[in-house]
Amino acid sequence: MSRQLNILVVDDDAANAESLAELFQMDNHRVIVAYDGKQAIDAFSLNQVDVGFFDVMMPNMNGVDSFIEIKDKFPDARVYFMTGYSADDLIDKAVKGGALGVFSKPVDLGKVLATVEAEAA
Amino acid sequence: MENPKYQRLRDPDVLLSILDNLPTSIFVKDENLRFVYSNELHCQMIGKPEEALIGKCDSDFYRGEEAEGFLANDRAVIEGGQTNISEEMASQESGMTMPVLTRKARLKAPDGNIYLIGTNADLTEIKKRENQYRALTATVPVGVLQIEEGGGISFSNPLFNVYCGGDGCGEEGSSLVKQLAEAHPGFPGVACKFEGNVQVPGAEPRAMLVMSSGWLHLGGEKRSAIVSIIDVSEMTELRRINEEVSRLNKELAANMKKLAEAQDELVKKGRMEQLGQLTATVAHELRNPLGAVRTSTFLLDRKLRDKNLGIESQLDRINKGIVRCDNIITQLLDFSRSRQLACQPEDLDSWLAGIMEEMAKGLPQAVSINVMLGLDGAMVPFDPARLQRAIVNLVANASEAMVGQGDDPSKFACASPSISIMTRRVGEEVCIEVKDNGPGMSAEVIARIREPLFTTKSFGTGLGVPAVEQIVTQHGGRLQIDSEPGNGAAFTLWLPLTAVEDGSQDDAKVA
Repeated sequence: MSRQLNILVVDDDAANAESLAELFQMDNHRVIVAYDGKQAIDAFSLNQVDVGFFDVMMPNMNGVDSFIEIKDKFPDARVYFMTGYSADDLIDKAVKGGALGVFSKPVDLGKVLATVEAEAA
Repeated sequence: MENPKYQRLRDPDVLLSILDNLPTSIFVKDENLRFVYSNELHCQMIGKPEEALIGKCDSDFYRGEEAEGFLANDRAVIEGGQTNISEEMASQESGMTMPVLTRKARLKAPDGNIYLIGTNADLTEIKKRENQYRALTATVPVGVLQIEEGGGISFSNPLFNVYCGGDGCGEEGSSLVKQLAEAHPGFPGVACKFEGNVQVPGAEPRAMLVMSSGWLHLGGEKRSAIVSIIDVSEMTELRRINEEVSRLNKELAANMKKLAEAQDELVKKGRMEQLGQLTATVAHELRNPLGAVRTSTFLLDRKLRDKNLGIESQLDRINKGIVRCDNIITQLLDFSRSRQLACQPEDLDSWLAGIMEEMAKGLPQAVSINVMLGLDGAMVPFDPARLQRAIVNLVANASEAMVGQGDDPSKFACASPSISIMTRRVGEEVCIEVKDNGPGMSAEVIARIREPLFTTKSFGTGLGVPAVEQIVTQHGGRLQIDSEPGNGAAFTLWLPLTAVEDGSQDDAKVA
């Protein structure tokens, strides 16, 4: 029996963020949406986030720097990245910083849902 | 029978008429050196009619010294019996002198009397020509000499005199001729042309071009050779300079070519960098909405699935469209990205086995895959992400060539489509061969397939093979393409076993 998760979706592309949020909600998870790195940090501080799906390139603060800061405050934070184009240095930094995986955009929803399912198990 | 021709000659009038019409002046003197006969031309030379000559001596017509010279000459002939041939200057009544070749001989007539028969040939024309030739040889920038067979130089022009440092017809000339004969066997008797250093007195040895006519008959009894000597030291120097200039020109041309190539390369690199940045931006900007479309389609599918609206095929088309768009973006990225390779020596076979397993899942079911790995665990330096893109491209091309999208067996190009992936080591290289049994390619297609934007597919960017080639070239390797119509196609990636320096630039950073 999978549990309900608090999922944070971070993407400056609102259509992407919201459609993904809706998908997770359909599977009965609670979803928080943030539109840049700073909002993502706030979201982690204000909510009990079980798992995050972060875009990389965003205004104000990119997803990776945001993740590094979050990881500093919440070492147990579980975060996956979604990227439209691999910016290798940033991805490397994210993986070294403890990111759990990287999905290429447009993300393979089967894989994303399987990941969420595994997180909820 | 006597020839009637000679009978006529017995007529004295005929004979005298002939003598008068000869172009030679003829005179006959008796023992006392008095004229007894003078033909017309001789009369003209002296300027007196024959009647005025007969019974007279030279002293009656010539002045003292000249007359004495003739007299002594004549006596020697009459008394000594020796024929005398000499060049003389004969004064004419007009006061002009005329060069003549005089021949005088003693004749003992049948009546017992002794006569002197003399002839004068006019040398004016010959002398004129001789003077012209001499003047000519004095003006040419060539040393000229005439060497007589058996030794002796009978003529040398002023320049030859300069070259030999003295009298060209004397000792100095002979010494120079000897020098040349030592330098070139056969000189001067054998016609020849050679270049040698000539020691010109009081100067550095000079490069001279020497030419000899070889022994020639020029009219005398002995043969002679005409030799010319041309100072080519300046020409040799000019030639050396010319050769140097020519060499430098070639070098310059080669350098210009290299420069032009380097410029082209820079321009190309600059363009590729721009293209890389542009593509990265476009990829990012397109993939975000594509993601939203895909997720929304997924949501639609879920929400409407149980409502039996019959929209499955439409949703499927949307999804396939997304995949195609994504593939195009990926190919553009493959081609335009030339980021620094991250090469690590890795067991290529094991790695390949892993990615092929993954890739096989994405291929149409009709396509079978055979993997034959023959590297025996060889460690090869390569960038896994980039090399994977190359192999994905080749495998996708092979599959599409055989079965298209894989959904319509009636359109398959072959009955049992199969792709074989083979690795082997040859010397210091390893190769990965991706081979299909599809329709193959014509020579025209093979010739163009490496060109960016060239495609034979109804859809496709024409960047797949160029991207593969770029990736393998960046690894210090090469792409080999073998195919013929009807016999499938083999694309072989050759990679060096030792890592090469990769000079490519990092590309843009967008995500």
